[in-house]
Amino acid sequence: MSEGEAILRGLAESVIDGDEDRAREFAKKAVDAGIDPLTAIKEGLMSGMKVVGDRFSRLEIFLPEVLLAADAMKAALEILEPLIVKEEREKLTLGKVVIGTVQGDIHDIGKNIVAMLLKANGFEVYDLGRDVPIDEFINKAEEVGADIIAISTLLSTSMPYMEDVIRLLKDRGLREKYKVMVGGGPVTREFAEEIGADGYGDNAEEAVEVAKKLLGRA
Amino acid sequence: MVLSIWEVLDLAESGPYMSERDFDLKVVARLCRELVKEYDIRYDPEQIVTSDDSLADDVFEAGFRLAVETGIYCINTKRIIRFTEEQIKEGIESAPEQITVGWGKDARVLYARKVEDSRYPIIMGGQAGAPIPEEFHLPMAMSYIKEPLIDTINHGGLAVVEGRKVKTGSPLEVQATRRELRNLKEAARRAGRPGIHFLAGESSNTCIGDLAIASDEYMQTTDAHLIAILNELKTDYDRLTKAVNFTEYGAMNVTLVDPIIGGYAGGPAGVAVNFVASFLLGRLLYQSVYHICHPIHYKIVSTSAPEGMWELSVVGQAMARHTPFIIMGDVWTSAGAGTEMIFYEITANTVTNVVTGTHPLGVSATNGTYPNASGLETRFMAEVARATVKAGLKRSEANEIVLEMLKRYKDKQEKPDIGKPFPELYDVATVTPREWWQDLYNRMKSEIATLTGLPL
Repeated sequence: MSEGEAILRGLAESVIDGDEDRAREFAKKAVDAGIDPLTAIKEGLMSGMKVVGDRFSRLEIFLPEVLLAADAMKAALEILEPLIVKEEREKLTLGKVVIGTVQGDIHDIGKNIVAMLLKANGFEVYDLGRDVPIDEFINKAEEVGADIIAISTLLSTSMPYMEDVIRLLKDRGLREKYKVMVGGGPVTREFAEEIGADGYGDNAEEAVEVAKKLLGRA
Repeated sequence: MVLSIWEVLDLAESGPYMSERDFDLKVVARLCRELVKEYDIRYDPEQIVTSDDSLADDVFEAGFRLAVETGIYCINTKRIIRFTEEQIKEGIESAPEQITVGWGKDARVLYARKVEDSRYPIIMGGQAGAPIPEEFHLPMAMSYIKEPLIDTINHGGLAVVEGRKVKTGSPLEVQATRRELRNLKEAARRAGRPGIHFLAGESSNTCIGDLAIASDEYMQTTDAHLIAILNELKTDYDRLTKAVNFTEYGAMNVTLVDPIIGGYAGGPAGVAVNFVASFLLGRLLYQSVYHICHPIHYKIVSTSAPEGMWELSVVGQAMARHTPFIIMGDVWTSAGAGTEMIFYEITANTVTNVVTGTHPLGVSATNGTYPNASGLETRFMAEVARATVKAGLKRSEANEIVLEMLKRYKDKQEKPDIGKPFPELYDVATVTPREWWQDLYNRMKSEIATLTGLPL
């Protein structure tokens, strides 16, 4: 194995192990060895994150391990990303997603799982957390130039707020600018269609596939 | 003396501060992982209904330690409500082993079941968790209350009231929750069982609905409401307000524990440990008199998923062997009513619950998503429960039945047949099953009796 291959493997494994320090160390090594930062991210960090996502889908690992992996990836990205020109940086991601649990609802584990799997699959994710007021989804999407607004809830009584986000997008003349995805325990495909959402995920994995399809990246 | 609700509130304000992320990852996730390793707790898909007493004992011991070491995180104050080992033990010792729920001739004694208990369980019926359209909420509730084998009711709430969508935290939560209770009471009167016990108030997730129904006109003190332990091992002011309100009003607080398999507590083993800790802490936090066991598979959701039933089995036994807690085990199916699949799921899930220390609560068809349910499939759940007891089923025999049923539905759980909504299953005017649904029930009951040997 060449030095370059060893560094890429080190990056991937540090993500898989959720080891922030090692991820930083290998990111620095990649820079010192003159490895193209884009290659280091794609073939090192993102390939590690893909393994993490696959293992979670098979319930071989669980949410805490996925979160630690995401932290490790973030630590390495802080070193590698500034070295990439903006155009190339944008090519790295499948798209930008603003995600959150909608107003009135403080359940966020399902949303966290979706956010993590989106990250694992190469999306740039802006997680607004839980009990997110409807206008915050739109304001954040405008701020970061998002492609998708993803809204989650576990409560049937918070589902009307999903419709409110879409209505507000229309009122602000922004509906065509964003794809809107909805999901969560009580949310159904029929409901998604009824409120005019662009996508619905029955579970986290489907959500990722739908996000890819919406952006023509499937 | 068990702590008063006042003292619990004091702890929420004075406990140690911690960021929520640290609590999730450095406390709950870490401790669950360590305890699972130390006690070598493992999920075995071939032993869904385990006969291994030592596994149940290990899960209890690990869960007790988790309860002592973690406490409950209060999201609003960002402080940990921590109870001492002595207080947790007092919570166990003071827990009622039996309570009377409902009133008059319709009252039932809800009791702490034992492993392989020879008594019939108490059946709690209804399409819990699902938003039910207002136009058939009342007759649908009647379809359960009319069933003589169904002892108590936990039915879905209203998501739309007088044509208006009910939003979390909005004033409509008042009207929706009051309408829900009025419907339930009226349904009970019409079905001739006015004193039947309700676990209700499902139309409002915040404390607004609870505050609006604490009155004899809506919810009586012989009724109950749910207060969830937020995932994982957390609470907030809303839940505590519900606890305070009902404690002072005098109706019953019931802890809902619904950890996610694959979430912060980890896989099936970590979730089992987390379950025990949540029950023990919920008793002190909410002064609950009974408790709901509701495992959620991160993808399948249903309690009838193999991992979900393993939780019910192991946790039910752990609690039954070490505490006098009264526990209802949820029966949430992937399939909807009007399908063959739902009968297999009900059989597996109910047999599991009945032999391992919990009373069956369900059938919440389609995981409480659609109103695709009726009293008839819950009659079947009650019949399976009684047949399990009549046959004197041992855990090993129950396990064989569960594995046999799983062969028939496990692979369909990701894309289940969601069945039909209530008006297509029942004649809404007479509240009787439509002929096709009755025929399907008859055929499946006979098939499952043959397959399992249960005296159905």
